[in-house]
Amino acid sequence: MSTVDPSDRSDGSRPSASERASFVGRVIGTEDSTPLDFWVALAPDRSLQLDDVVALERTAPGRDTVRIFGIVTQIRARHEGARFDSDVFLIEDGVLPAEVTEAAHILATRFEPEVFIPPLPGQAVRRAEGEERDEALFFDGMEQKLAAGLSREDEPVYIDLEFLDGTRGAHVNISGVSGVATKTTYATFLLHSLFTGNHLGPEAANTKALIFNVKGEDLLWLDRRNTGLADEQAERYRHLGLEPAAFRSVRFWAPPVRGAETPVPDTGSRSDGAVRSFFWTLADFCSEELLPFLFADVEDDRQHYTMIVHNVAARLKKDSTALPDGGVTFDGTALRTFVDLIDFIRARVEDPATQQDWAGPAIGTGTINAFVRRLFGARKHVEHLIRGGVQRPDRHRIDRQSQVTVVDIHNLNDRAKRFVVGVVLRKTFEEKERSGLARPLLFVVLDELNKYAPRDGSSPIKEILLDVAERGRSLGIILIGAQQTASEVERRVIANSAIRVVGRLDSAEAGRDEYGFLPVALRQRATIAKPGTMILSQPRLPVPLVLEFPFPAWATRPSEAGPPARSESGASDPFAGIGERDLVAPRDR
Amino acid sequence: MSVTEQIVVEAWAPEYGSPIETESLDPSGATVDVEVEVRSADWDPVDVPVGLRPSRVDFTDGVRRIDARVWLTGADGTTRPGICASYAAGVVTCDGRATIVVAEVRRGLFGPAGAPELTTQAGAYAPIAAAGQDLESLSQALQERMIELEIEAAESASRKVGTSEADARDRLLVADGPLRGRQHLTGAIGYIKTHQVGYLPEALTPVVAALKPGQRTPLFLTQTTWSRYSWYLRLPGGAGHPWSGVVRCEASTELPLEDARFRADQSASALPEFAAAAHKDPRAPQNLYPIGGLERELRRRLGDSAWVYRALRTSAARWVPGKAGARG
Repeated sequence: MSTVDPSDRSDGSRPSASERASFVGRVIGTEDSTPLDFWVALAPDRSLQLDDVVALERTAPGRDTVRIFGIVTQIRARHEGARFDSDVFLIEDGVLPAEVTEAAHILATRFEPEVFIPPLPGQAVRRAEGEERDEALFFDGMEQKLAAGLSREDEPVYIDLEFLDGTRGAHVNISGVSGVATKTTYATFLLHSLFTGNHLGPEAANTKALIFNVKGEDLLWLDRRNTGLADEQAERYRHLGLEPAAFRSVRFWAPPVRGAETPVPDTGSRSDGAVRSFFWTLADFCSEELLPFLFADVEDDRQHYTMIVHNVAARLKKDSTALPDGGVTFDGTALRTFVDLIDFIRARVEDPATQQDWAGPAIGTGTINAFVRRLFGARKHVEHLIRGGVQRPDRHRIDRQSQVTVVDIHNLNDRAKRFVVGVVLRKTFEEKERSGLARPLLFVVLDELNKYAPRDGSSPIKEILLDVAERGRSLGIILIGAQQTASEVERRVIANSAIRVVGRLDSAEAGRDEYGFLPVALRQRATIAKPGTMILSQPRLPVPLVLEFPFPAWATRPSEAGPPARSESGASDPFAGIGERDLVAPRDR
Repeated sequence: MSVTEQIVVEAWAPEYGSPIETESLDPSGATVDVEVEVRSADWDPVDVPVGLRPSRVDFTDGVRRIDARVWLTGADGTTRPGICASYAAGVVTCDGRATIVVAEVRRGLFGPAGAPELTTQAGAYAPIAAAGQDLESLSQALQERMIELEIEAAESASRKVGTSEADARDRLLVADGPLRGRQHLTGAIGYIKTHQVGYLPEALTPVVAALKPGQRTPLFLTQTTWSRYSWYLRLPGGAGHPWSGVVRCEASTELPLEDARFRADQSASALPEFAAAAHKDPRAPQNLYPIGGLERELRRRLGDSAWVYRALRTSAARWVPGKAGARG
């Protein structure tokens, strides 16, 4: 059959054996062929699958040969010669003659040179492999490539690091339903790729990550090798140029056990002393004006009580004196617990003698009551996070000395989560701002963005996230944010993310405008994506890529955890020795 | 007319007329011998023995289309009519799968002798001399050429069959239309969907009406300008009137009677399964599925008629006398 011989080369030469082998079909003329998309009929005995990469050449009058590259987004097979659905039975019974044809829909990715002309019907199409595939997907032009996963054919897929490290863009946003979308796992895989993939050069050692563990305890074992990692999965890491290893330098922080006298970390399954407890002292709370972080809607101008919040916060900062054990005194009154503090605040805003100074001028009783009600509402959620009367309070202040800092907030109430994330992020942001240097980079991983930066309303933490999204690129803070539904997250946070990743989506969600960057076929695929499959969109490529990422090389639960990494490769850990002693949890002493 | 007891809608779409125009067919002028298989007194529907279905049934058919009518003016100033036509023929082999094994397309300029070849973007129209100048003669010439092509296609398909006698007996070749000119093809029978004339004497027509699907009449020998064995057979899916779903088949008289009978039995056991359903073919059930599929494919291969017409006009407009093949 003549369709198998791709002899229509522009220079008229005979096709080589390898060209004949990579030939898959011809551009069809029964569907429109455009510079953006076109259809290819597959020759007999040739096949393409979704995500395969193809190439073809076209010569336009008066121009050089244009090479056109594309990616398969849909394939259809049908009977030609059949007119009715039931004809299939006649055809299978050998009564009606018909032919089965397959055609693949191609979205064009690249024109080289950039002359946007449609491929002509009849032109031979070949599978793009090796260098040609890299070219089709723009991998050849990426100066620094970050391994982002593997294609279905186990070929590496890369992200252009320039669009992640702030050079030309920054931030990653990951969407997907929980459970099957494996958003956090993919975020940690990206970090792993950054840290072990030699993409950042010497800077990799100083690059750090701050991860908020919002759900489960998956992230509390990052420093342990995954004993369940199969050999072929380890091989996939090596294929990407990565090391199938756990994170080398990790420090875990967890809130103290609620109601306990001493601040013992509430560590759940991780009880080997690797986790430290974190909290803020009353002195920090007053001097750093953390009060507004207790109120979700404090920036909302419609709420009158917000004025009181700012007044009180200013008063607390001005009038308090810090005690060495983390407590504070106001005019000789020593306060050592959060309850002491809010009782004190209540007395001040309700007492007519001090009301003017603390609540502000001309504040109605109703407004004061609203403030007090909300303040006391926060009590049971945060009282263990804001405390005094402790030894060496500085040891419970979250630091970022390790390469990876995991802050576990999964068993905190939403209000407390917002408080912790807000305060930690603000601190981080301020430090970066003060240092004035974008490098080394700091990656912040935060799931459930819809809670912290919801589309509607305003709050201190949303303001900080917006700051990170809009200015983080120049400050060297890169947000790897995730959420179930991008439609519920502040638009500006998402709009500022150069890299967008989508896992399994709910079909109603997949239809929303926020996923407009996905072509229709990919939207449909997002609704059936398996765990470990992601769709990645990056500015370099006009078409999102479907990729898989290997099983985590680090443990995600106690049963998988191998022996501590330290004993395996202590010498190569650039962080070895830093705070070694400090890793012992307080309760062990 | 007495009180109407029943109304039946003709299965064929109205534009195709009816396979039979009146219940009582005009008697043909042919010499008919109804006693070649059984005595006329014993004429009854024939039940076919089981197990006669051949493992391969081939169907051959042709299509034709007049692409344009042309006027040819000679050097002497006389203008004569002609037609540019496309015609195609092919073969479908049904041996578990229905596959189009041969499909040939030709284009011709039918007109007076000495007409030139007309080369167009749609292909070359070869000159073919017709006996007369009127449309009927031209059309007749086209029909003959199409039959020739059908024979060519059937021969080429036959070459692919095994040569042993067993192989030949296990294959039936159904030629759409009269068998005339195709008698020499092994295992060939003619297949006629419409009935213009009645071959059977009045007394025997009730036998046709009594046929059940899959039954045939006994053979009868017809002699007009040529002779052949004929038999009627009823396909399933017809309803209503006595001749619904009835087709006439023909076999060569060059065959021994026994062989003709064998082919008749074969046809009655093989053809019912290929009968089209009413909603799928405007000429159901007589227009068999494989033939319907082949016709569609052949018509498709004739090319888009509007485009072919344009190619013809372009080439004709650029016609240069004496220089054949003025490419458009």
